[in-house]
Amino acid sequence: MTPRSPADPWWMLAPTLVLLTGFFVVPLGVAAYESFFAWDLLTPPRYVGLENYAALARHGALLGIALKTLAYSAIVVAGTLAAGLGLALLVDRPGALFAAVRTSVFSAYVVSWVAVALLWMALLDGSTGLGAGWLRALGLGNVALLGDVRTALPALAAVGVWKLTGYAMIVILSGLQSVPQSLREAAALDGAGAWERFRYVTWPALKPTVAFTATTTLVTSFQAFDAVRIMTQGGPAHATQLFVYAIYEQIFLDFRVGRASALAVVFFALLLGLSLLQVRAFKPSGRTP
Amino acid sequence: MASASCRRPSRPLRDGQRVVVTFWYAFGDLVRKVLLELVDRFNESQSSVLVRAVHQGDYFEALAKLRTAVAAGVAPPLSHVVLEALPYLASTGAVDVLDGYDGARSLALVPALSQQGSFGQNAQAPTYGIPFNRSTPIAYCNENLFRGEGLRVPTSWDELVFTARRLTRLEGATVVRWGFEVPVSWWYWTALVGQLGGNLVDADGTLSLGGPAGEDALRFLQALVHVVRVMRPPPGGDYQAWQSTNESFLQGRVAMMWGSTAFLRYLENNASFPIVASPLPRGIVSSVPTGGTMFVILRSAPEEERRAAWSFVRWMCATDPAIDWATRTGYMPVTRPAADTLGGRGFYMRHPNDRIAYDQLVHAKPWPWARDLFRIERDVVEPILQQAVLTNRDAREAMREAREEANRPT
Repeated sequence: MTPRSPADPWWMLAPTLVLLTGFFVVPLGVAAYESFFAWDLLTPPRYVGLENYAALARHGALLGIALKTLAYSAIVVAGTLAAGLGLALLVDRPGALFAAVRTSVFSAYVVSWVAVALLWMALLDGSTGLGAGWLRALGLGNVALLGDVRTALPALAAVGVWKLTGYAMIVILSGLQSVPQSLREAAALDGAGAWERFRYVTWPALKPTVAFTATTTLVTSFQAFDAVRIMTQGGPAHATQLFVYAIYEQIFLDFRVGRASALAVVFFALLLGLSLLQVRAFKPSGRTP
Repeated sequence: MASASCRRPSRPLRDGQRVVVTFWYAFGDLVRKVLLELVDRFNESQSSVLVRAVHQGDYFEALAKLRTAVAAGVAPPLSHVVLEALPYLASTGAVDVLDGYDGARSLALVPALSQQGSFGQNAQAPTYGIPFNRSTPIAYCNENLFRGEGLRVPTSWDELVFTARRLTRLEGATVVRWGFEVPVSWWYWTALVGQLGGNLVDADGTLSLGGPAGEDALRFLQALVHVVRVMRPPPGGDYQAWQSTNESFLQGRVAMMWGSTAFLRYLENNASFPIVASPLPRGIVSSVPTGGTMFVILRSAPEEERRAAWSFVRWMCATDPAIDWATRTGYMPVTRPAADTLGGRGFYMRHPNDRIAYDQLVHAKPWPWARDLFRIERDVVEPILQQAVLTNRDAREAMREAREEANRPT
């Protein structure tokens, strides 16, 4: 379709551009500007150059936050995609039973993070939780998964996987159902087994859907806040101090707007870089199978 | 219509002829209930001021909201802030000087709980805070378990270790009952530092975080967890760890805990066993920090609202409300007449646990009046303590890092 006037596409884009500029570009610019100041909201800001970035880099604090966030995201994205894909393949069948399973798995996604966090806190409690009971039965003693620096982050990520799997399952299921059945039947007639049918017929058609799910799950996992705030408050000993919670801590608990802004800028750069890499990784190769 | 609903209400706020005082508070459960009942009593006692209490989360959430509201120019006239944040708020000019308010100099506050008593180096500073809910850390013991083992409440660190060892129970490799538990937190670490004779700030103004005493206090906590293994660091941060300690104690999974006197009534009401409260044990000396919050009046509020807020603060310091507040919560009575009246009525004879915190005030160690005190607590010491206790990191190295960060200009 050819626009009647060169300005037409811009008019159509205008509402989105206005919203993006107002709620994304401008705040990001303000954050970048404020990252060069020391400011506690109550006294006048003081220009400090790159000191906020230097302070974050000291003692490996920034690196630690970035690595913890990446580790959390890696577990959440990998776990969610694997569980979502597996469940989608399992429940891609007609019948009331499979509809009930689909509904049950998806229901976790629509429950609020606060409710999910409270539920899992009770389940993971080191003394009275169901999970702790299982670990005791295995002879592992009292294990407080959220209270141990080694297990708190994986435990938190596992809760994220549990919450997001329903979302991944539904999106991937919609992708699966858009793969023509005739292609799979043709492959079967040609002697392809279940794995070959999945590998050479279903997966190439599903790849864009999985890429979309991976990107949105990555963004969601990077934005993790509610569960951290409720379940661990970034602890124990900063073991679950992820980016968004660290920003919250800096600005609202430690009174450091400049340092929080610096964290936000680094956070944005990291997320942008990862999203670009992910889009590139899932880009269609152009080859036909 | 949209612009009308978004417009800020004109101030001073009024409800009929009454000046409305919005009061941001940070309590839940029983303490909240008691406070709201006192607010109702105040509102019924006169017809010129109407206090509207608004819950704002825990101390730290409430402080964050208050600070943001001050920056946005929409702060309420009245709130209460955690003690350590008062020097910072005073330095920013956000809170009003209270000395000029009617009757401010004749409140007969318990000296150790007043601003001047709570901050030793602040004797000459103007008054920015009036004590509201004030506490000290005390020890809570499960009397049944102590009696069963024939134990007395510990009065020294050595006795604490001995007692905790005797009370810790193992089933196979699993600990089914810990002898002792305390949140790994700045407040309790400060108590230990004081008990070793250390000061957070040296006489020459150097921010030493107790020096060797700070390190030894950390080593003691590490030893309880990793060497004698009588304590489990409670999970979670901030007040979640405090609540977790309370729950473990109430469920009999911990025999003895350190906690705020603020939990006294809650623990007594919810325990299925008799509780004996006791002073914290001595190290080299007896020492406890004070805690809790101070009423503050926000300078940005209109004068009429500030004066109305003061009338409520003054009413809360009157003997009857102060007694009601103390006896129903476990916080200390903040005025001498209230404390004397309680003693005269035989309240402490009937409730000996309530007397512990008040008597312990003779060993209360004042906080330094330092602008960065709250930042150092939240941003520096608390996370380093937690990390060092959980990972058994070298205490000297951990506290060296804490001192370096604490002394770094912000």
